[in-house]
Amino acid sequence: MPRNASLALAVGIMLAAGYAVFAAKGWQWKAALFPLAIGIPLFCLAAVEVLWTLIDKKTAEEPAPRSVALPWAWMIAFLAVIVLLGFPVAVAVFVLAYLKLQAKESWLFSIVFTAAIWAAFYGLFDLLLHLPFPAGWIIEWLGLA
Amino acid sequence: MLEALWEGLLLVLQWKAFGFMLLGIGLGFWVGLLPGLGGATTLALMLPFIYTMQPVEAFAFLLGMHAVVATTGDITSVLFGVPGEATSAATVVDGYAMTKNGEAGRALGAALASSLVGAVVGAVALAAAIPVVRPLVLTFGSPELFMLAIVGLAFIASLSAQGTRGMLRGFLAGGLGLLLATVGQDPQAGVARFTFDTLYLWQGLDLVPVLVGIFAIPEIIDLFVRGNSISGNAPPGNVANGAWQGVKDTYRHFWLTIRCSLIGTFIGVMPGLGGSVAQWMAYGHAVQSAKTPEERERFGRGDVRGVLGPGAANNSKEGGSLIPTVAFGVPGSTAMAILLGGFLLLGLVPGPDMLTKHLAVTYSMVWTIVLANVITVAVCFLFLDRMASVTEVKGHRLIPAILVLVFIGSYTSNSHYGDLLVTLVFGGVGYLMVRAGWPRSPFVLGLVLGKIAENYLYISVARYEAAWLTRPVVLVLIAVAVAVILYPFLQARRSRSRA
Repeated sequence: MPRNASLALAVGIMLAAGYAVFAAKGWQWKAALFPLAIGIPLFCLAAVEVLWTLIDKKTAEEPAPRSVALPWAWMIAFLAVIVLLGFPVAVAVFVLAYLKLQAKESWLFSIVFTAAIWAAFYGLFDLLLHLPFPAGWIIEWLGLA
Repeated sequence: MLEALWEGLLLVLQWKAFGFMLLGIGLGFWVGLLPGLGGATTLALMLPFIYTMQPVEAFAFLLGMHAVVATTGDITSVLFGVPGEATSAATVVDGYAMTKNGEAGRALGAALASSLVGAVVGAVALAAAIPVVRPLVLTFGSPELFMLAIVGLAFIASLSAQGTRGMLRGFLAGGLGLLLATVGQDPQAGVARFTFDTLYLWQGLDLVPVLVGIFAIPEIIDLFVRGNSISGNAPPGNVANGAWQGVKDTYRHFWLTIRCSLIGTFIGVMPGLGGSVAQWMAYGHAVQSAKTPEERERFGRGDVRGVLGPGAANNSKEGGSLIPTVAFGVPGSTAMAILLGGFLLLGLVPGPDMLTKHLAVTYSMVWTIVLANVITVAVCFLFLDRMASVTEVKGHRLIPAILVLVFIGSYTSNSHYGDLLVTLVFGGVGYLMVRAGWPRSPFVLGLVLGKIAENYLYISVARYEAAWLTRPVVLVLIAVAVAVILYPFLQARRSRSRA
């Protein structure tokens, strides 16, 4: 995995730097100066790292740790619920679902812990700081906002 | 001068000014703890409330709030690996590693004690440097400031990883940060660069969602996979003793703490570089203080010097950045620019008047920085046990709470869903970097420095063409950059020849 991760990063940087140089060619010099000054050496350095990784057989291959997909799935699901239902609902739904389904906590603990986090979120960010949290697409679509 | 210094203290200790300072400290305490809520934003939010205050009360309130943000920001960085402030990101590297090793108390003690030392050094520098700093600031034009940014990047890229390969990866990470800083509308020609026709990217990548993603997400995944508490199976130890050990560490590495405080003050004085740069410069210097390559390998795995350096620089930069703000009306950072607004709201004009007619007000600022940090550090030490015990809570109970904090922290920086996406994308990049053993600090410094460096490079080229490269201070800084790059090789060679 370190080898693959390193290769993925180096190739990603190479592509990003290559694209930056390609795109900057069409801009005025004022806008292109810095992307070119960074992009060209960055592309070369990334190419060296790619070659080094491919040639270097010593870099240990380590198996990816188990269950990496699962935390990503939870985070992406949380993002989706925020967009669909808005922060106030999503915080409660996510915390309760995580504690019950992933952490296998008791109902009592899950409900009390969820209520505490939601109260802290609502009290601090909404009541005290008046930060604007949109209602979420579904809530708006249903006209509940 | 001594009379004005004494008068400044008495002004801050007046019950009304002191009360406003305590209020500011209370606000700053929470702002620092919560990721995403920036000190500068909160200063801006509080500005309208100072209309009816006297200058000393207003500065006690605003500076009291601002001076402690970096101190409490370190707490979130140490305990959860989530930078409470953009200026606390460097503390994550070794502070969180110490927490995972069961040394949360020691890391917190070191962060708090070094913060206090840093704040005092910065305040003393502010008090002492005003008459002598003017020529220094005026010596540095755009070419010198650009080279200073490059030296900073060379510093961190060459020191944050081991060997030639590590340095290559450090420069790649730093270069990626610089390149990503060009996203958004360019300030010179107005060209929308790498925005992919999305309005969100026009203003560029915001630092907070990127920082939160690159540091917090990999730690959350790690916590999930390990399935235990943040401190893992490491014995919890005695938190109070640990904290005391951290305080002793500060005095064991006293000169390192002082040097890092001075680095912070110096970066603070330089307009435009800011606290995010100061902490990484100080971290780089702390790594450089390692005498052998083996010793240097401990950095990133929980070396207390990696906490002391950024902790000190974070707080000393406040005093430093106040110097040009007060003396010349040139703000050293965003927060200072907002504070400058405060000066104007109160009818004070920064410049010679602040050093003559209003000298006592200027010194009241020095005292506010010192007193606010002393009070905050004392309060933190009182509740240290409770703070550190959080790291022994089971991971699966902490993860939802941290994730809520991460997502809200990211979202509040722009109030845009794009912030959440940016956090997850850079969480992926951060995860790959951790897996591959790439240093993350050069990336962050590159991102922080990118816009500043681009601006200075443009002005240098437009004003001097290639001749900017021949300016004496620029040549000295080029030599420093080369020396910084060569230093690890020379150090390795020397230790090989010794062996």
